Amino acid sequence: MRLKHEEEESLPVRAAMGTAAEKSTKERLLSVLDDLEVLSRELIEMLALSRTQKLPQTGEDTQILELLVQRDREFQELMEVAQHQGKVHQEMQLLEKEVEKRDSDIQQLQKQLKEAEHILATAVYQAKEKLKSIEKARKGSISSEEIIKYAHRISASNAVCAPLNWVPGDPRRPYPTDLEMRSGMLGHMANLPTNGVNGHLPGDALAAGRLPDVLTPHYPWQSSDVSVGMLPPHHGNDFGLEPPGHNKENEDDVEAMSTDSSSSSSDSD
Amino acid sequence: MAVAQPRLEKEGDDCSLLPLVHDIIKCMDKDSQDVHQELAKLKSRIQEAREQISNMPGIDSSPQEQQQQLSTLRDQVRTKNQLLQKYKSLCMFEVPKAS
Repeated sequence: MRLKHEEEESLPVRAAMGTAAEKSTKERLLSVLDDLEVLSRELIEMLALSRTQKLPQTGEDTQILELLVQRDREFQELMEVAQHQGKVHQEMQLLEKEVEKRDSDIQQLQKQLKEAEHILATAVYQAKEKLKSIEKARKGSISSEEIIKYAHRISASNAVCAPLNWVPGDPRRPYPTDLEMRSGMLGHMANLPTNGVNGHLPGDALAAGRLPDVLTPHYPWQSSDVSVGMLPPHHGNDFGLEPPGHNKENEDDVEAMSTDSSSSSSDSD
Repeated sequence: MAVAQPRLEKEGDDCSLLPLVHDIIKCMDKDSQDVHQELAKLKSRIQEAREQISNMPGIDSSPQEQQQQLSTLRDQVRTKNQLLQKYKSLCMFEVPKAS
């Protein structure tokens, strides 16, 4: 029995395809196994047919047999290749595990580096801010002597603590009084009207000169030189306060002002 | 009828199907009733071979492709080892714990 034409053609084609490098070993093995199955079936059928029909051999059985042997040899070679590939596959699996471990190590290292970078960035930022503050303070630096001098002036004006000999009724205040303000540069510059400028009606009246001299009280601290005693000694010298319009009438007005019961300054004392 | 006997393979080759074919032909020559049994053996052997091939690992690619993949993996491992070695040998400082 002749092989079918398609099978005759398929065998060499499959053989050619089986040797192609692109095909995987699995595909080649399965292909060769299929060929073996077909060839063995053909051979057995041919032998059975020749026996039953008692036909003479045409030599095709020899061809099939040779092909069968060839395929079998190829099958065995491919099985050896497959076993070798199996061992290589095991080695590849070990390498893949190692690659995974290295990847996790690299990720861990990356995380630590990121954390270190964050800490460094924060530290550098804070250091820069501090340097800016230092530079700013250096630019606006004031000598300690000057600060002490101003502190002395502030305290010398009795603004932080009442003088030791202060008694109720003393016209001296921890803030500039009307007379002092009007005697200063602002008072002379503006020449402002005296309508409740600082809320002290008696002061206004005094400045306007409406209060009589008989209301001027006399206090123990008052010296003969009233013009000097009205102002803090150091205060007046440093700020150059010289009341140009100062006269005895104004001094009496100040004394009268302080004794007025409606004075809020007295009340606050 | 002269039948060319198949060449006997060496005994260690259990992958070979030729011994089974030879047994079948021998049974046919003797007109033995075991020929069906031998045919069934051949069939099951072929089926077992198919299953074995399907389960074998690492044969989804050709040997050349597999060697290429192996070489790539080795290069990867070497490169990553070098990278880790490089960074670990740098001047590292301890990260202080947040107080």
